[in-house]
Amino acid sequence: MHGRVKVKTTAQQEEEKRKEREKKLKIYVAARDACFSKRKEGVCDDEALQLTQQLLSSNPDFATLWNYRREILMHLETVKDPDEMQKIYEAELSFLEACLKVNPKSYGSWHHRGWVSARLPRPDWARELSLCDRCLSLDDRNFHCWDYRRMVVKVSGVPVDQELEFSDRLIGSNFSNYSSWHYRSTLLPVLHPQTRQEPPHASSPRGPQSHRVCEEQLLKEYELVQNAFFTDPNDQSAWFYYRWLLGRAEREETISCVYVSREDERVAVAFSRPINARCVGLLLVLDGQPLRVEWRSVHPRFRHSPVLICDLPPGTINDVTNEHNLTVHWTGNHTHRDCALYTGRVESWCRDTATDQELFRSELSVEKTSVLQSELQSVKQLQELEPLNKWCLLTIILLMRALDPLGYEKETLAHFQTLKEVDSMRSEYYSDLCCKFMIENTILKMEYAEVRVFSITDRNLTSLCHLDQLLLVTHINLSSNRLQRLPPQFAMLQCLEVLEADNNFLENLEGVYHLPRLQEVSLKNNKISTLTDLQPLASCPELKRLDLRGNPVTQAASVESDLAELLPSVTDLLL
Amino acid sequence: MAEEEKQLEEFEQIDFLKDRHVRFFQRTLQVLPERYASLETTRLSIVFFALSGLDVLGSLDVIDKDLIIEWIYSQQVLPTDDKSNLGRCGFRGSSHIGIPYSTKGPGVLHPYDSGHVAMTYTGLCSLLILGDDLSRVNKQGCLAGLRALQLEDGSFYSVPEGSENDIRFIYCAACICFMLDDWSGMNIQKAIEYIRGSLSYDSGFGQGAGRESHGGWTYCAIASLCLMGRLEEALSPRELDRIRRWCIMRQQSGFHGRPNKPVDTCYSFWVGATLELLGVFRYTNFEKNRNFILSTQDRLVGGFAKWPDSHPDPLHAYFGLCGLSLIGEPNLRKVHPALNITQGAFQHLQQLHQTWRSSCGQQH
Repeated sequence: MHGRVKVKTTAQQEEEKRKEREKKLKIYVAARDACFSKRKEGVCDDEALQLTQQLLSSNPDFATLWNYRREILMHLETVKDPDEMQKIYEAELSFLEACLKVNPKSYGSWHHRGWVSARLPRPDWARELSLCDRCLSLDDRNFHCWDYRRMVVKVSGVPVDQELEFSDRLIGSNFSNYSSWHYRSTLLPVLHPQTRQEPPHASSPRGPQSHRVCEEQLLKEYELVQNAFFTDPNDQSAWFYYRWLLGRAEREETISCVYVSREDERVAVAFSRPINARCVGLLLVLDGQPLRVEWRSVHPRFRHSPVLICDLPPGTINDVTNEHNLTVHWTGNHTHRDCALYTGRVESWCRDTATDQELFRSELSVEKTSVLQSELQSVKQLQELEPLNKWCLLTIILLMRALDPLGYEKETLAHFQTLKEVDSMRSEYYSDLCCKFMIENTILKMEYAEVRVFSITDRNLTSLCHLDQLLLVTHINLSSNRLQRLPPQFAMLQCLEVLEADNNFLENLEGVYHLPRLQEVSLKNNKISTLTDLQPLASCPELKRLDLRGNPVTQAASVESDLAELLPSVTDLLL
Repeated sequence: MAEEEKQLEEFEQIDFLKDRHVRFFQRTLQVLPERYASLETTRLSIVFFALSGLDVLGSLDVIDKDLIIEWIYSQQVLPTDDKSNLGRCGFRGSSHIGIPYSTKGPGVLHPYDSGHVAMTYTGLCSLLILGDDLSRVNKQGCLAGLRALQLEDGSFYSVPEGSENDIRFIYCAACICFMLDDWSGMNIQKAIEYIRGSLSYDSGFGQGAGRESHGGWTYCAIASLCLMGRLEEALSPRELDRIRRWCIMRQQSGFHGRPNKPVDTCYSFWVGATLELLGVFRYTNFEKNRNFILSTQDRLVGGFAKWPDSHPDPLHAYFGLCGLSLIGEPNLRKVHPALNITQGAFQHLQQLHQTWRSSCGQQH
């Protein structure tokens, strides 16, 4: 159903058209019926070819007919010699060209051409490439044609560097050719692969992101792409390609943190990606002995989680005079992490910090800082010439986060402001992105200060992220934001002792769930309206202080007695 | 006077003409213009557009449901007595092959008759929309027919005789398994590998490995993974963020399917529903989206076209409505973003699942 533009016609023209259509219809039906009766009888002759040709000319999307035609051709292969077949197949290719002229986007036609090309006794791949060239010159975004070209290149063994030159020519004549840039992205890694050792695991299937390009070639590509976006900064083709060039491969999967609590006899493990507790292969070894434990997510509604916990058998580690050595093995990924719990210590952990993991380096390559710096300068130059261009701003933000998230924080926030004005259609998305970066920066600051206090207030936050990085946090302050819920993911804050979230719009606290150390909760001026909203708090056994002032729930008649029943451990209640 | 008239005209321009659309779909179900002849082999999918469109409009009462249910069942390729054709079972697009009309088994063996994966998918959806309980669907046949279509690389053909193979038919397969509540119809792991392999350098999905990112294929990828319940298993949080970004950048006023292409009504659903499944549809601009969709509305004939000043067709009429439903247009029913039927039809399906499961005991 490809777009047909409305055109006015006279009544006479309409009548002529109608008569013509009726005539065509009669011929079509007759041919179709003849065709099927032939096929039914197993007839595979020239007349059958004729008939199917007639029908397919007017309806190239009749898959059954293409299949019949293939049967006929395969049958003919058994009775004719190669020279005759060459002629027959060449005629077939001409027929297909005519079909493609009528409808260059017919799946049936392209599929059949691919089939024919593969069966030609003497294929003429140059002719096929030339067909593609012509087709693309009419519509350079016709993906059927691109797909066909890919097949031809593969089967005929066209050298990759030749195809790269082809993409050079296309891009050179028109930078705004997204399909050409796409094609280039598939060619480069083949021609100039980056040599990196494959990670030892095969558990996660790899996508094309993993095919990286060697550095020397990358630098040349940066130049090409810069030419493109300097020439036309509003065309997104070059910008997406640029981002890919700057991007980096996925990090290896690791255990990022093991935390042990002697008192709770509990182990919490943080992974570099979310996993399902039931499917993961984890082995816990305590003091050299494997220990059978049940791993679970921190919340039943959060099954695919980057943090898993397990309880050790009672009495295993609770004697503070004993030292223990713990190892968690992630068997599928051939990786493990150790954690030693020393005498006299009530808890212990072993982790890579977010800085170590380069977690927030905005997925851009840190192959050479100098390269990124120079890229940043170039894009900044362009931004001065094109202050309203959103791609510049986005790319600058990206590069800044790659180079120095904290150092560039102020500038980044300013650029976000401009971005929201310049591309106001997506301003909410940018706000969300900005919040995410602010949370990341707060995590980095917390780690540099080597404290376990996370505070992000008065930032218009509407949602939380990276909660898996807050496993060790003891105090959290989220006051004066715009949060409506503390989602199940919040239960990853297994060490939390104090929660402050005043002046938000909180009505859902389901993530405040089985937090074993939580003692103090302040939720002044939120939207907590029923006792049910507070139900999750009952799962926190150490909860002593609760401030609910300024919430609708405090207006309920029996709220004090209800809360005393729901939360018996709470001694300090402020309503 | 002229000023007022102009303002009135402008108001009418953005007015949603529900009755016209109802009549548009009614006519679609009665007769199609000559230019649709090439779609005869896929007629059932056009029926789906009309039925689901009427459902979204809350106007299924204008059609004879039982009649259409019978017609759909007449397209079912049933197993023969000796079950030798199980790998060919499913639903046809229409009667174009010439098989004698029948809604009951056993199947008639015909060497060139088989189901088509997209017709099985739209056939099952259509039955659900019409309130049918799927009791006459030969599940064994449909699932065997589906298994016969999957290739080593995880993708699917559309017909057992062979055709092109790509991510579209994975989506059809996932819908079929989901509706029949039976994933033995496909090898999920291989399908996931194919889907992952289709992720392009710019974090959109192509039809297959190495192919250009496209809003339609991105929808097929994400919706399939959601139906399988494997979205977060198959894609890392970073990958999901990058996919969100690629999709969000598709909005120009309405949405386009690929960078530097014109906006097209149907992508308000393909990309919109993908964003909804990824939890970020709320960050798009609803007003611009709505204004574009309504600019393709045909005020005389009803329906929507892919572009303004073009002829409407059932596909764009349906997806235009779905696009409006996503942004909460009043008087339109909500659409399940992964299965692409109304929430009402989806609930009907869930009830069927409950009935099947309880009668099967431990089988699920």
